[in-house]
Amino acid sequence: MAKTDNGIRICQGLLILGNVVIGMCGIALTAECIFFVSDPHGLYPLLEATENDDIYAAAWIGIFVGFALLALSILGIVGVMKSNKTLLLVYIILMLITYAFEMASCITAATHRDFLTPNLFLKQMLERYLKSDADNNNDKWMTEGVTKTWNNLMLQNQCCGVHGPSDWQEYTSAFRVTHNDADYPWPRNCCVMDNRGEPINLDGCKLGVPGFYNSNGCYDAISGPLNRQAWGVAWFGFAILCWTFCVLLGTMFYWSRIAY
Amino acid sequence: MRPLLLLLLLLLATAHGLDKLSYRPRLADLEGRVTGSTFVLEQPRCIFDKYNTAEIWLVVATRAGMGDFNDSAQPGMPEWSFQRFPANTSAYLTLGAMQYHYRCLEPNRELTVLRVGSETSCADNASVPNCNGPLPSPGPYWVKFLALNDSESIATTQWSGPITLRTARAIPSSPGTGSGRSGAMIAITAILSVLLAILLAAFLAMLCSSEACGVGSFRPDSASIHRYNTHHVYDQSAARL
Repeated sequence: MAKTDNGIRICQGLLILGNVVIGMCGIALTAECIFFVSDPHGLYPLLEATENDDIYAAAWIGIFVGFALLALSILGIVGVMKSNKTLLLVYIILMLITYAFEMASCITAATHRDFLTPNLFLKQMLERYLKSDADNNNDKWMTEGVTKTWNNLMLQNQCCGVHGPSDWQEYTSAFRVTHNDADYPWPRNCCVMDNRGEPINLDGCKLGVPGFYNSNGCYDAISGPLNRQAWGVAWFGFAILCWTFCVLLGTMFYWSRIAY
Repeated sequence: MRPLLLLLLLLLATAHGLDKLSYRPRLADLEGRVTGSTFVLEQPRCIFDKYNTAEIWLVVATRAGMGDFNDSAQPGMPEWSFQRFPANTSAYLTLGAMQYHYRCLEPNRELTVLRVGSETSCADNASVPNCNGPLPSPGPYWVKFLALNDSESIATTQWSGPITLRTARAIPSSPGTGSGRSGAMIAITAILSVLLAILLAAFLAMLCSSEACGVGSFRPDSASIHRYNTHHVYDQSAARL
């Protein structure tokens, strides 16, 4: 009898420990996803205009799943300590539902990250940056978002275009329709600016003299944060789910051993 | 970093006869050397040192213009004006500068350039025939420098090689490189699906191991309750009487 008692105690202890870890991971997941949703790099308008913003949807799901994991872990601890079959059954069912949601979030983040190629951003930049006419209000909103985001990107990261300033020369664009090639081989924001927001040497910038224009492409500045977001949501969620899998199996085993 | 000097102004110089110099104009080594409607040449430094009072002009021509252009052209002539190029004339003169602007510099001084096509304001203004306007088509174009002294040409360089301007392509519509499913995404999907399947199977097994599943016949002796008449007490009432 003593052995079985010890066995039960060990099982309970392990399950409580498992649930504590799940609770803490839930808090961490919520915090991480709130950070991503707050968009510290201001890249959301770019994704919104490509209609490919599902890594943000995955982060939103992550916020709610994190809260659910915290609440359910507390329920699980109470159920294990009281050895109450009803509580544990409710816990298992709700955990399975949460598991399914988190799985959706991970797979969405991983899948949609694969869509974020340089050509996606190039196409959108050429079609929307400083586009002068808009089809409807939604179009105008997206154009303004893209323009503002690219202006900020080029100023803050000292970069120009997706691959470089040659993007503006190599491809036709909405920008080229309103800005002639002789005066604007590339947008003004590709020039190195002084403190007042004016190019330090406009002719040097138009000629492409090193030091007066930004010669790097902005793709690294875009894909870096977005990749970190997608992989952060996907892999951390994956780790939580692996741990939850073990805890759930243990709980099911424990439930089937409880006698009424 | 090499800062640039971009000034070009004109003076006239005198000379006799037409000297053919061996210098060939070439494109400068900058990012914007060739765009959709402009190109950038190196300045002809040290080339015209002999012609102290000359005015140096740039001749821009199409292939036909290379043959048609005669070196007695004057800068103000309408037949060599920018506005008629290339439809009605095959060459034009522009970017006139006095010789002292192309004086020799020390060998390691900064790069000096000329941008052909930078003046957009006078492109349609017929009263400015020497406008340095943006080139209307991708070309190719050939250029050379001409030194004039009192409207008489005294020296000329060779024609440059063909300069073709950039043509813009259509916006790319395909996803390009880097698209397609990555290995990580496949691993995540596959492993999580398997784990969920195992969990659901274990959940069903857990429910079925209690009586709720309906089969419930794993313990064969639980079905019936037997009553045992252990002391053969069949008739209680006889003993009481």
